[in-house]
Amino acid sequence: MKLAVVVQRYGQAVNGGAELHARYIAEHLARHAEVEVLTTCATDYVTWRNALAPGVEAVNGVAVRRFRVKRERDPHLFARRSDRVFEHRHSLGDELDWVDAEGPNSPALIDYLSASASTYAYCLFFSYRYWVSYYGARAASPRAILVPTAERDATIGLSMFQPVFRGVRALMYNSHEERAMIEVVSGNQDVPGVVVGIGSDVPQNPQPARFRQKYNILGPFAVYVGRIDQNKGCTQLFEFFQGYLRDAPGRLTLVLIGHSLLAIPENPRIRHLGFLDDADKFDAMAAADLLIMPSYFESLSMVALEAWALGRPVLANGRCDVLKGQCLRSNAGLYYETYGEFLETLRAIEQNRWLSGTLGRNGRQFFRDNYDWPVIERKYLDMLGRLSRESAPRAMQPLPGPLERHRQDRPPAEEVVAALPTGPSLVRERDDLPRAEGGPGPRAWSRR
Amino acid sequence: MPDFNVRSDSVNVEQIMEQIRARVREKRGVDYTEQQIRELAAVKLEKFLDPRGVRSDLLDQFRNTQPDPRPNYAFEEETLFETHRAPIRWIRRLLRPVLKLLFNPNPLIQALHIQAQLNTMNAEREAARHGLYFEVTHNLVIETTRLGIEVKNLTMRLESLASRLEFNERRARALESVVAYKSASDNERTAPAGAPVAAAIPAVAAPPASQPTMVARESQSQSGPAPEGPGQRSRRRRRRRGRRGGAPAVATMGGSTGAGPTAPPSVGRTGAEPAEVAHGASGETGGAPTSEATGARGNAAESVGHAIAAEAHPSEPQSESGLNPPDIDEP
Repeated sequence: MKLAVVVQRYGQAVNGGAELHARYIAEHLARHAEVEVLTTCATDYVTWRNALAPGVEAVNGVAVRRFRVKRERDPHLFARRSDRVFEHRHSLGDELDWVDAEGPNSPALIDYLSASASTYAYCLFFSYRYWVSYYGARAASPRAILVPTAERDATIGLSMFQPVFRGVRALMYNSHEERAMIEVVSGNQDVPGVVVGIGSDVPQNPQPARFRQKYNILGPFAVYVGRIDQNKGCTQLFEFFQGYLRDAPGRLTLVLIGHSLLAIPENPRIRHLGFLDDADKFDAMAAADLLIMPSYFESLSMVALEAWALGRPVLANGRCDVLKGQCLRSNAGLYYETYGEFLETLRAIEQNRWLSGTLGRNGRQFFRDNYDWPVIERKYLDMLGRLSRESAPRAMQPLPGPLERHRQDRPPAEEVVAALPTGPSLVRERDDLPRAEGGPGPRAWSRR
Repeated sequence: MPDFNVRSDSVNVEQIMEQIRARVREKRGVDYTEQQIRELAAVKLEKFLDPRGVRSDLLDQFRNTQPDPRPNYAFEEETLFETHRAPIRWIRRLLRPVLKLLFNPNPLIQALHIQAQLNTMNAEREAARHGLYFEVTHNLVIETTRLGIEVKNLTMRLESLASRLEFNERRARALESVVAYKSASDNERTAPAGAPVAAAIPAVAAPPASQPTMVARESQSQSGPAPEGPGQRSRRRRRRRGRRGGAPAVATMGGSTGAGPTAPPSVGRTGAEPAEVAHGASGETGGAPTSEATGARGNAAESVGHAIAAEAHPSEPQSESGLNPPDIDEP
């Protein structure tokens, strides 16, 4: 069986969420099938500048075929078109212009895919929002499997993606919340889908003492791993943690790992270590009492899964449906929405070792049951096997003609997203068995 | 302190969060999110504008200040000569040069045109200002709501602190009264009775064992008899053990030679020896007061314990680590 993995960027030095996801999946599926990656020559997601040579090369044993990007992204044009489709009533043509402005535009890749799609059993497209995925899924729709990596942002409210969600052969979701959101937006309940996510290569024997010695960290601490950015909820985290030090002085120190785009508060109990390599990162997480995830928007928090894999509890922002849902489903983390809840949950995990230990154990079990690589690989292989037994149901709905494209009948995307139900999905991971064809899954999406 | 009870082997995060939220509500009052504050403020604003609300005339006043669409006119170049009758319009156009011979209507047309534009601009500006007023009022109400909630929370915290302070004062008074009571009773007693107090005080106030307490020093200085030597005390102890242990009178009367056959019982008690020695110093010198002194010692410890335990205030942290020893691990 030959598989194609289509993604906007690819390489060992490319660390974007969807790109890393694509690389891990490609490398693990390469153990079971012949995998070829189709991607662009770009490495920078802002400009899509051609930085690598076109052609075929091997990355970690996986064949990678690169195609040139036709034109770089114009940030001003993209911002104008985003404003147009996200905030105003617009037409389908406006949305197509938006995805053109976003890029990466690589007609060569689409041409190749159109010509060679039949040589692949299936094509896995990562991240629904990019030009290559949108037109690639259309070019190879009978073989297209989409890994949407969708978040609750305005893009999901664009109507141009709905036929894609309905027209691919299958979808591999990251979380139950993502699945519920896409099903509500596009009405694709009859398209085969499964919540998979992604695994992580967590070391078996991390060295917490080595980390403490190397960075001179004594006493209990909470760790945050990731970009230190306002969009990740770090401003609120700093505010809340300083409140914890002021109002309920416990013994915890906050250790921050990652590049910072914010000013770090000057407090001896808040330590910023900068970007660390994987070994130090895992050592830090193993040494920590808990991991804090303050982000508002996540399609799947790999860091939280890694903390659970290491048996550490997670304190998450309850405003993020995905994180809250994962905490509830795993029984391995607490969540907060207000300062009072932050204070109490943090102190609960800090002072109640039984609770902390039980949450950690639950997390480890949750990771093993759902996100260990053998589980992930099995879910992909099961889905491929299921699709090979079924015939392609129908072709994807074609793009309408020029007159239809200019009709100003599409609502602002932000309005569409605001109207979507919110809250964590109540389905448990083990309930996520393959559904009977066309039947609704055992899930409920609560309104908050 | 986190006082939720999770006693089963597995945890239910939803249940824990419910308990934590209840705890937050209990401690901090209702902890509103930004969205909830805005909703509350919106409700208040509506009530504020509702004629059935507190001040019914405010809605009318607000409505009165709202700029009505004032009548305006459009005055263009052709306005003066417009008519719906085509022949008349044709005649007017024909005679317009004649009219312009008599006077120049252009400045008049221009002035009225500018005035119409000014009216439109003024109306737009007033509408914008009205919106600004509304926004300012709205923001004021939001801030007032937020401040109200903060005041409520601060009041609750103040009450909690006040009750804690009161409790601490009561505890301090209770401790002081216990120490004063013991000192007074000791003064009434004879000199040897000072020792039990000295033994009881460390159990309460826990001064270093090597340093005699003030009470002990005072009692010692007041008591007349000189302290006994170790030889006297050990002899008396042996005699008393002999009597209590039911040893044969011969063995007992045998003095030091009786250690042979009666040795096992005394050897068997060596584990308790240090405690006995510590307390024995008072018991033996006092004779009859021994039981009293022991009872007083017990009472002293009891009364302190009661002083602490009986006055445990709800707001006082029962133990620094938490409320449920099985659940909370003390760091």
